[in-house]
Amino acid sequence: MVNIQEDIAVTTPTEPQEIPAAKPFLANERIVIETQRLDFYYNPEAHALKNINIQIPDKKVTAFIGPSGCGKSTLLRCFNRMNDLIAGAYLTGKVLIDGEDVYDSKIRLEELRKNVGMVFQKSNPFPMTIRENVTFGPKVNGITGKDELEEIVVSSLKQADLWREVKDRLDASALDLSGGQQQRLCIARTLANKPEIILMDEPASALDPISTGKIEETINELKKDYTIVIVTHNMQQAARISDYTAFMMLGEMVEMDSTKRIFTNPTVKMTEDYITGRFG
Amino acid sequence: MSRRISYFKQKGDPYIFASGLGLVVALGMVTWIIAVILSRGLSFFWPGDLVQITTSGDETYLGELWAQEDAIQLDADGHKIPVKQTQLKIGNRDLYGMDFTWIRDKNITEQAYPENAVTFERLEYGNFYGFIEAVHSGDEQYGADHPELYTKARQAYRLAREKREQLRETQEAMTELSEPLTRLQREISLLEISPEGRTDEGLQQLEEMRRSAEQLEQEIADAYQALTEKYEKLYLEERGIYLTVRTAAGEEKELHLSEVVRFFRPNQMGVFAKSWHYAGKLWEFVADDPRESNTEGGVFPAIFGTVVMVLLMSIAVVPFGVMAAIYLNEYARQGPVTRLIRMSVNNLAGVPSIVFGVFGLGFFIYFVGGSIDQLFFSNKLPEPTFGTGGILWASLTLALLTLPVVVVATEEGLLAVPRANKEGALALGSTRWQMIRKVVLPNAMPGILTGLILAISRGAGEVAPLMITGVVKLAPTLALDTTFPFLHLDRKFMHLGFHIYDVGFQSPNVEAAKPMVYSTALLLIVIVVLLNIIAIYIRNNLRKKFKTSTF
Ligand SMILES: Nc1ncnc2c1ncn2[C@@H]1O[C@H](COP(=O)(O)OP(=O)(O)OP(=O)(O)O)[C@@H](O)[C@H]1O
Ligand SMILES: [Mg+2]
Repeated sequence: MVNIQEDIAVTTPTEPQEIPAAKPFLANERIVIETQRLDFYYNPEAHALKNINIQIPDKKVTAFIGPSGCGKSTLLRCFNRMNDLIAGAYLTGKVLIDGEDVYDSKIRLEELRKNVGMVFQKSNPFPMTIRENVTFGPKVNGITGKDELEEIVVSSLKQADLWREVKDRLDASALDLSGGQQQRLCIARTLANKPEIILMDEPASALDPISTGKIEETINELKKDYTIVIVTHNMQQAARISDYTAFMMLGEMVEMDSTKRIFTNPTVKMTEDYITGRFG
Repeated sequence: MSRRISYFKQKGDPYIFASGLGLVVALGMVTWIIAVILSRGLSFFWPGDLVQITTSGDETYLGELWAQEDAIQLDADGHKIPVKQTQLKIGNRDLYGMDFTWIRDKNITEQAYPENAVTFERLEYGNFYGFIEAVHSGDEQYGADHPELYTKARQAYRLAREKREQLRETQEAMTELSEPLTRLQREISLLEISPEGRTDEGLQQLEEMRRSAEQLEQEIADAYQALTEKYEKLYLEERGIYLTVRTAAGEEKELHLSEVVRFFRPNQMGVFAKSWHYAGKLWEFVADDPRESNTEGGVFPAIFGTVVMVLLMSIAVVPFGVMAAIYLNEYARQGPVTRLIRMSVNNLAGVPSIVFGVFGLGFFIYFVGGSIDQLFFSNKLPEPTFGTGGILWASLTLALLTLPVVVVATEEGLLAVPRANKEGALALGSTRWQMIRKVVLPNAMPGILTGLILAISRGAGEVAPLMITGVVKLAPTLALDTTFPFLHLDRKFMHLGFHIYDVGFQSPNVEAAKPMVYSTALLLIVIVVLLNIIAIYIRNNLRKKFKTSTF
């Protein structure tokens, strides 16, 4: 049963706790996303995120790594409130984007999700034409001008590095594209909304090395203009494309630092063990 | 040994065999029923040869071979002895009182197929089988010795048809001419019985209306008189065209050609002529009005009624069913309440259809229809407009009956929409309604169409609820015609399913109507299949378009 519930209980913890100050390595960055004492429960028994305090900098790529089931996807989906769709789930604490609590009742969900785009692990283009896939977001967000939409189609596809391959068949079904092309179409579709932040949940895990390389190239291009948060199981990938890396374990944020430092000289032993493949 | 048996059981061969057998039995029954309907329904229109049988009792019969069977006869001592007997359709109901007779085969002394035996299909009293003795056409007269007697009869027949057509036109002209007067007279009589008609004002108005009616009557009197005279003259001419026909037994009779639908000499017809005749009869069946209390002629009004009713039902049931399913699936909080609702909807499918009919009668006809009459058609009361059975109420009743089917199928379609697509739409900032409209509904369309197909199949064959919500044996007018407002939702209608019941079990001449039952059943099946094929075609096209994304 796919049931979509958009009401989620938000309770603030009673006992006041010290909110950790900005990490020194982020001193020169503008913080876009920040969580404060974030606890997430799928149900009272499934405590998926435990006291997460994280800061994500502007126009940088931040990677989440960690063993399967540690809560990376859950955390990512807190940023655009996709977890709202899960019946019975609730959270405590705060998720701030540009200083505003996204779980505040004044927030318009549609605006939040337009601003915080998401690319899923399994590419999910709509069964429509390529053009319709790209214009879906702008259209539901109220853009109707034909020229404007056309302009968006071209620029989004170019940004996602798909334009050359599909420019002659914009009106073909999106489902006829290859897996890698479909995933880049999903990126283009997200870009069409002109978001500030793009969340990517293992965007290349189902792709071959060449397609993966293309996606990584695309991400490298995009980080000039967008804040990107990416979940990945591929250590090399995290090392190649990210500026900062956060390591999670059993629902807790173990360590976050610059990617270089995490991969060369992590503070916590567990991180080193995981990165070097000693467990996980 | 026991190991072999246990292995046999493990493999499950007996169960596979039993399930295969079940399938074979089910398929066999379906094939059999369809074969029976096909052969009986389609052979009805084939012109049968006319056989003349003389019995040992010196009786002569002429007719179509209908059936042969082994019967049991008791002899004087009470012993049962098997006898063969033949059923002959002898027609001539006006002379013999019945259409069929049984003849013991052992009593048959002579059997022949006379070349010039003629089958007459008549507007009344069924077929006449016999021989043409003379043709009377106005002043002309041709006896049995005329070499071209049959051709003359055909000419006379054409003339009679023409006269009949002219008579009909004259009659129409007369009705049209007197229309305003009839309407005025109706208004007068309505006013006379209403309370206002007894007030001074009303009396004065009545007086005025009566005066203008008189005036109108005088105005049209001359034209009306002329038409009446023309009518009478035509009538006399028409009555002057007739055949003298003789039955096999030698009885003579006058047969007015204007009462004959068609006549032919089956024993002289080759396969090609018979096929042509067959095609004509088939066309008559689907395109003409019924005759002889529905046992002859066509079923066009019933086809029309069935199709219009099914369409109206679909228009009503699909939006409601789909909206209900969407609410249940996408908006309602899943829990005991939705489960209860789902269970109720499913159980609604098990309620006997006659109960829906009773509900339709009570709610739609008496309550809704009665209120509509009070509000909008009060000038016609006490004559009901919508407060009586009609095609709209019947369609809505069937829509209610088929609602569960549509809801369940739509829910299945909604569930089949990939979650990833729904999340993708929401993640792009669409509202839930936008997601439903742009992603869920198109994707669920095949499921919705499956629901529609099931609803059509169920609704088209349903008879019981219609019998109390507006179906009639013979509807004088169609629900759709060229007079404003074109679609007359208040009208009674005919329906193929009810037609089968009526012709097969309610008609005065059940034996003669039997083939008609098969033909009508066949037609109903064909229509349901056609409607389904259209829906399936659309569904397959959609399926192709929405094949789910794969890597
Ligand atoms: N809908 C749900 N209901 C209950 N528990 C859930 C649900 N979804 C996830 N979980 C649990 O929450 C925990 C975190 O899941 P999450 O999907 O965030 O892991 P992840 O780090 O993304 O793992 P992976 O790398 O395998 O994708 C897991 O233990 C999982 O079993
Ligand atoms: Mg995950």
